[in-house]
Amino acid sequence: MLNTRRQPKPLIRPNRSTRLYSHLRDHLRSLVFSLGKLYRQPLATTLTILMIAVALALPACMYILLDNLRAVTQKWDDSGQITLFLNLETSENDIEKLRSRATALEEIETVEYVSAEQALDEFRALSELDYLIDGLAENPLPPTLTLTPSASAKAPDTLHRLVSDFRSYPDVEHVQLDMQWLQRLQAISDVVQRAITIIGITLAISVLLVVGNSIRLDIENRRDEIEVTKLIGATNRFIRRPFLYGGMWYGLLGGVIALLLVFTVLLVIEQPAQRLVTLYNSEFELIFPDFWQGLGLVTTSIALGVSGSWLAVGRHIARIEPS
Amino acid sequence: MIELQNVTKRYPGNREALAQLNLVLERGEMAFLTGPSGAGKSTLLKLVAAIERPTHGQIFINQRNITHIPKNKVPNLRRYMGIVFQNHHLLYDRNVFENVSLPLRIAGYAQADISRRVRAALDKVSLLNKEHVMPIMLSGGEQQRVGIARAVVNKPAILLADEPTGNLDPQLSAEIMQLFSEFNQVGVTVLVASHDLSLISRMRKRIVRLRGGRCTNGDRPVA
Ligand SMILES: Nc1ncnc2c1ncn2[C@@H]1O[C@H](COP(=O)(O)OP(=O)(O)OP(=O)(O)O)[C@@H](O)[C@H]1O
Ligand SMILES: [Mg+2]
Repeated sequence: MLNTRRQPKPLIRPNRSTRLYSHLRDHLRSLVFSLGKLYRQPLATTLTILMIAVALALPACMYILLDNLRAVTQKWDDSGQITLFLNLETSENDIEKLRSRATALEEIETVEYVSAEQALDEFRALSELDYLIDGLAENPLPPTLTLTPSASAKAPDTLHRLVSDFRSYPDVEHVQLDMQWLQRLQAISDVVQRAITIIGITLAISVLLVVGNSIRLDIENRRDEIEVTKLIGATNRFIRRPFLYGGMWYGLLGGVIALLLVFTVLLVIEQPAQRLVTLYNSEFELIFPDFWQGLGLVTTSIALGVSGSWLAVGRHIARIEPS
Repeated sequence: MIELQNVTKRYPGNREALAQLNLVLERGEMAFLTGPSGAGKSTLLKLVAAIERPTHGQIFINQRNITHIPKNKVPNLRRYMGIVFQNHHLLYDRNVFENVSLPLRIAGYAQADISRRVRAALDKVSLLNKEHVMPIMLSGGEQQRVGIARAVVNKPAILLADEPTGNLDPQLSAEIMQLFSEFNQVGVTVLVASHDLSLISRMRKRIVRLRGGRCTNGDRPVA
């Protein structure tokens, strides 16, 4: 093939476009090669991926549940109702007067009257405690007027003024503004969201460390190989490449499994949640992460995987030199 | 091609491994480096390959001063030379073809060139039929030849070898040395460290004798 007695034709150094092309080819090769490496260490790989998946699924689940909570309360917020609990002894006549007085207010859109008997019936239907209720000597439930403020009167200030006005009405025992606990719920969910963010950041850092550590071990195991490749002129960048792709695979697989975990959790709680919310007399459809949120989770995971391996690779590969 | 000027190398906590050594190897020259164990043969080769840095003195490769070559320039320098070490340094999770093609991939050659060059290099070390074999299935001599094929596959201007015949039988050792001599005939500058005095004296090439880090001769062979 090659005649050693003759001057061989010189090896033409690769030109720019050849280098670019073979560069791309090498990326592809590293991509496949690094996946093969993971496949050949199934136990270590599985553990790493599961750690990533759990660390990401946890905050993701909490976040999506908070989202659901918000959506439910948002619906209630729309009503923003004021309930007037009347004295038990209030006469039908006085109730009617009160009712027309409230209706006349321009801040009030609708007034709904629930008599003591109706309230009891409703309670009976909802609670299934018939025998208890039947045992009562008299109806303990007060008649109520439920007022829905008009859209323009939904500001907290206006609602609070209305509430204190109603307090001074005769026969009104107690005024309840749904807003109050909605606001509290809102405040709680803000706190919870902040907590989830902090937990999420903490777990993201742990993902970085998990991936970084796996890649560091991998580098340590392949120390000889790295020395050899450096000896034949490989740049740090060339050597880094398969490890970075390794981190990317960790991230991708961890992210996909995290997403599966999130969906599993949501599917499991869907029915009980539905039942719970129906008890509060609301329609409810559990919100699942949409396509973009799913993509966001997986992308974040990939970014964390690559960054984690970058951290390990940057420090360790430069240090390994042939000796 | 290779020039050492007054080079001293001292490892931390050791006496001098090389002491004020001067050596010039012309382009296309071939020389053997010999001397007792600890004489500094490996150290000299490592300095030339920029694996170690000299404590004093200057080193030139192809007229370029590499004494203080920055780390990021080292890969390019090493692509300019082929390096063969006694412990074969093959990658055992890849087959012979992939091992030999690695320097070309690193330098970014086109796939067609890579296949052609790898086959030519394997043909030269008579291992063309072992292309797809894993290194672990090869004998020590065959592994050493794979290492040599990898060292010459990108046609380096300089070939460095440290004890390339280390634990091979005399017959194989002679073949390997013959191989180096053939590379030299096509213009490659070759520097081989070896203990095997009887073998290298038969090669009728220049012999550089080291002792205690100093050169005790720099004889050219008598033609
Ligand atoms: N990494 C090192 N750290 C400290 N001292 C070293 C190192 N490498 C070599 N030496 C010392 O430098 C001297 C020369 O070593 P070198 O390996 O160059 O000798 P050599 O001629 O190759 O020997 P051999 O024939 O046994 O391979 C020895 O005294 C050795 O102990
Ligand atoms: Mg040695």
